[in-house]
Amino acid sequence: MSLQNLILNLQKYWADQGCYLAPTYDLEVGAGTMTPDTFFRVLDKRPWKVAYVQPSRRPTDGRFGENPNRVQKHHQFQVILKPSPADIQKIYLASLEALGINLLDHDLRFDEDDWESPTIGSWGVGWQVMLDGLEITQFTYFQQAGGLELVEIPVEITYGLERLEMFLEEKDNIYDLNWSDDVSYRDLRFEDERQFSEYNFNQATVKSLQEFFALAEKEAGQLIAKNLLLPAYDMCLKCSHAFNLLDSRGAISVTERVKIIAQIRALVNQVAMKYAGSEGKR
Amino acid sequence: MEFLLEINVEEMPSSHVRTALEDLKDKLGRELQAARLPVAELRTTGTCRRLVVVAELAESQESREEIVTGPPKAVSFAADGTPTPAALGFARSRGIEVGRLEVITTEKGEYLGFKKIEKGKGADEILAKIIPQAIGSLSFPKMMRWGESPLRFSRPIRNILCLLGGKLLSFEIDGLSSKTTTAGHKIRAPQTIAAASFKEYQAALRENLVIVDAEERKKNILAQIDGLLAPLKAQLYPDPELLSKLANDVECPLVFLGSFPEQYLSLPLEILSTAMREGQKLFSVVKGKKQMPHFLGVADAPADAKGFIRQGNERVLKARLEDAKFFWDQDLKVSLKKRMPALKHVLFQEKLGSYDDKTQRLKKIAAYLCGKLEECPTEKDVILAAELSKTDLVTDMVREFPSLQGKVGGLYAGAEGLPEAVCQAIYEHYRPVSLEDESPSSRGGAILSLADKLDSIVGVLGLGIQTTGSSDPFGLRRNAQGVCKIILDRKLNFSFSRLLDKAFLTYGDKLKRPKKEILDYCRDFFLNRLRSILERMGYRYDLVNAVLEAGIDNIYYSYMRLKALDALKASPQFEPFILMTKRVNNILAGQPAYPFNADLIVEKQERELFSTFSIIKENVIPMIAKGDFSQAQKMVFRLQPALNDFFDHILVMAKESKLRRNRLALLQAISKILTQMADYSQVVIEGEKPAAKK
Repeated sequence: MSLQNLILNLQKYWADQGCYLAPTYDLEVGAGTMTPDTFFRVLDKRPWKVAYVQPSRRPTDGRFGENPNRVQKHHQFQVILKPSPADIQKIYLASLEALGINLLDHDLRFDEDDWESPTIGSWGVGWQVMLDGLEITQFTYFQQAGGLELVEIPVEITYGLERLEMFLEEKDNIYDLNWSDDVSYRDLRFEDERQFSEYNFNQATVKSLQEFFALAEKEAGQLIAKNLLLPAYDMCLKCSHAFNLLDSRGAISVTERVKIIAQIRALVNQVAMKYAGSEGKR
Repeated sequence: MEFLLEINVEEMPSSHVRTALEDLKDKLGRELQAARLPVAELRTTGTCRRLVVVAELAESQESREEIVTGPPKAVSFAADGTPTPAALGFARSRGIEVGRLEVITTEKGEYLGFKKIEKGKGADEILAKIIPQAIGSLSFPKMMRWGESPLRFSRPIRNILCLLGGKLLSFEIDGLSSKTTTAGHKIRAPQTIAAASFKEYQAALRENLVIVDAEERKKNILAQIDGLLAPLKAQLYPDPELLSKLANDVECPLVFLGSFPEQYLSLPLEILSTAMREGQKLFSVVKGKKQMPHFLGVADAPADAKGFIRQGNERVLKARLEDAKFFWDQDLKVSLKKRMPALKHVLFQEKLGSYDDKTQRLKKIAAYLCGKLEECPTEKDVILAAELSKTDLVTDMVREFPSLQGKVGGLYAGAEGLPEAVCQAIYEHYRPVSLEDESPSSRGGAILSLADKLDSIVGVLGLGIQTTGSSDPFGLRRNAQGVCKIILDRKLNFSFSRLLDKAFLTYGDKLKRPKKEILDYCRDFFLNRLRSILERMGYRYDLVNAVLEAGIDNIYYSYMRLKALDALKASPQFEPFILMTKRVNNILAGQPAYPFNADLIVEKQERELFSTFSIIKENVIPMIAKGDFSQAQKMVFRLQPALNDFFDHILVMAKESKLRRNRLALLQAISKILTQMADYSQVVIEGEKPAAKK
């Protein structure tokens, strides 16, 4: 039993459901929902099925490797199906059975939990899926993305891989998980957590980050004007991560926070609108 | 015949289930009545996965007879009795043979016409139209779409069972055709179930691990809870809201008892119970007021044979409690006082500044209130509480459990050894969070709560941000309600207008709109909240209106005036006095103010009214000032006979303007005293005739 096996099982299962297995996106993001494989593909009117593993960085969640549950980088298994199939809940339940969980022995609940990301102007309606009290999945019907009302509704299923593996291995400490049969989560991630927590909270140079944010923002604007929307969106993601780092350095003042979120959202909105507008022509 | 509808959905939020079941019942009841289809019984029930309607209906609409009239009899027949072109034309236009027309006598005379009998439509035809409309018109606070469907609902609809008299009632909604089948428990008995009646449906679901009746599930849960707690001689830490949510969330309730390590019992009950409720939706188990190392959970399962459900929840809870313990220990390393500078980085409102700014204002308003209220606690304690009241916003505990704001501050203040009055005031200063919630039990808590709420209301309304039916981001209505409730509960007697003024002034130059505009708007805002509270307390709306018309400069006094007036409503003097005030009001309507001169009195009744009034006025003014409204109201009621005599014998609107103005001036002086207590003319007298105009 290992995280690696969990990933392989999920990949196999969702590939069998017709999903394209996307490679992990190569930029820092806060959640799988922010990568282009989700962001752009939910905006257009064509059917889309994708599944991928996405490392997700949330600098303020770092605990220097000292907390058994919290890390500044965790892994999500992200699935998007558009339009959402009528039997999607059954398909999802079967994915858990495919992981060897006998649902008859457990209490599985879809508990009201709507999702919203103000930075990218997206929201959806759905649940956190609870397995014996543990949140293992976020299950969301997207309603809006990039500030645009969606016509064909995608369903997003996001498994928290570490959580799920802790359930499967019955472990209380994330670092005790097996990544593979021979490599532990501690081997791979402990030092990473320790060093990045130190960087995120104490060492990142505020001034450089601020300059970097300004550069990426400017670049995004120029790229939008040139209709280069994919690179423009990458720049938005860079802004977002710089903002998260500044936040964990405690360098964002009260009024700035609102302002910066609005700045990023405005850029993302422009990208989304141009992308949706050019859709009909392709 | 029996009608059965089940709308099968993906898990709806519990609050949506409740309103959907109420709305479905209302809407269908109304529609069926409008369609003239007799209903013997109509009820709704359900779970988070099914909305169920059961009804006993007539098989068809009642037939309806309609009389259609045409031309008058006089112009319908020629002298020889043959129908005229008018009659022929009418018959043709209605598609009826002229020979079948008859003479119908109406109030207006005799006409040619016929009786048309419209045969009632069958229940199936009517329902097939009404049901899809009713489903499509249900509305929820947040609605969604799914797949490619244009329909908006709370959560996706996946199946519709609809039976009339045991047979399929066929209709379609959003591409979904109604069926005679549904499915059992989604995970444990997902097989298809057919039923021909509600009884069969209920039994089949029970067999397939679903209790469809909401009340039954609740009782079932409570019985299981009792069964588990009785041997422990323990009780549930009451949480009715969680109980109703869980009763909707599970179709097959199983209550299980779990434990956690005793080392976490060092945490306060508030924190333990919140850690259990939020996230895992567990109940905390207490003995008296002491937390026990146990919890109760409600699972959607017939049994926990292998103990996985309990163990899983125990493991998750332990991690949460470990976090909470960690937060508690870490937070206490930094005193609340030392946290104050961090409030500069927490936004209260973009234009109103940070929580540090708010803290500075709270200190000023709290100090002002301490000066205005009798038997005030030590001002020093209240000011210290105000200073520290928001510091828990920058603790890890409140970041983790935002609903514990205030309480955590109070608990930490206690752990730091600050005076009890300070801790209590911080702990309670968000109370009451609803009309049902209790007001702060301490004077200091009440003062701090008032200051905090007023500051938010004046600031946010002062920016011109409006609250609407659905949008009240700062909870201003709840806050205003809380302010009124505290004042009434604690009988706080002070000038509310001046307090508003103070709250406005503490904002300095942050509020740009004209002062009068802002304060008038705030006063109206409070007036409306107070009105709804008083009406909910059961007072007559007209008495409430009459009293509030006299202003809310002192909210507690407004309430006392209402109580005094209400106590007199059955007295024999009540009606005549009210009618008299209406008369006074009518005659004064539209008159400018005149000065009264006693030397201009001519008539006896005029003089008598003046002297009665003078005596009453002398007595009533100090009563009003003291707040003795019961005596004051009784006293002004005594004006009635003198007023009556006055109106009976004196012509107020005398030709001579000097006399007329002087008489009006006397009535104006009387009215001025009366309206300090109420605008009595707003009281509604049963069978009231429009007041006679002189």
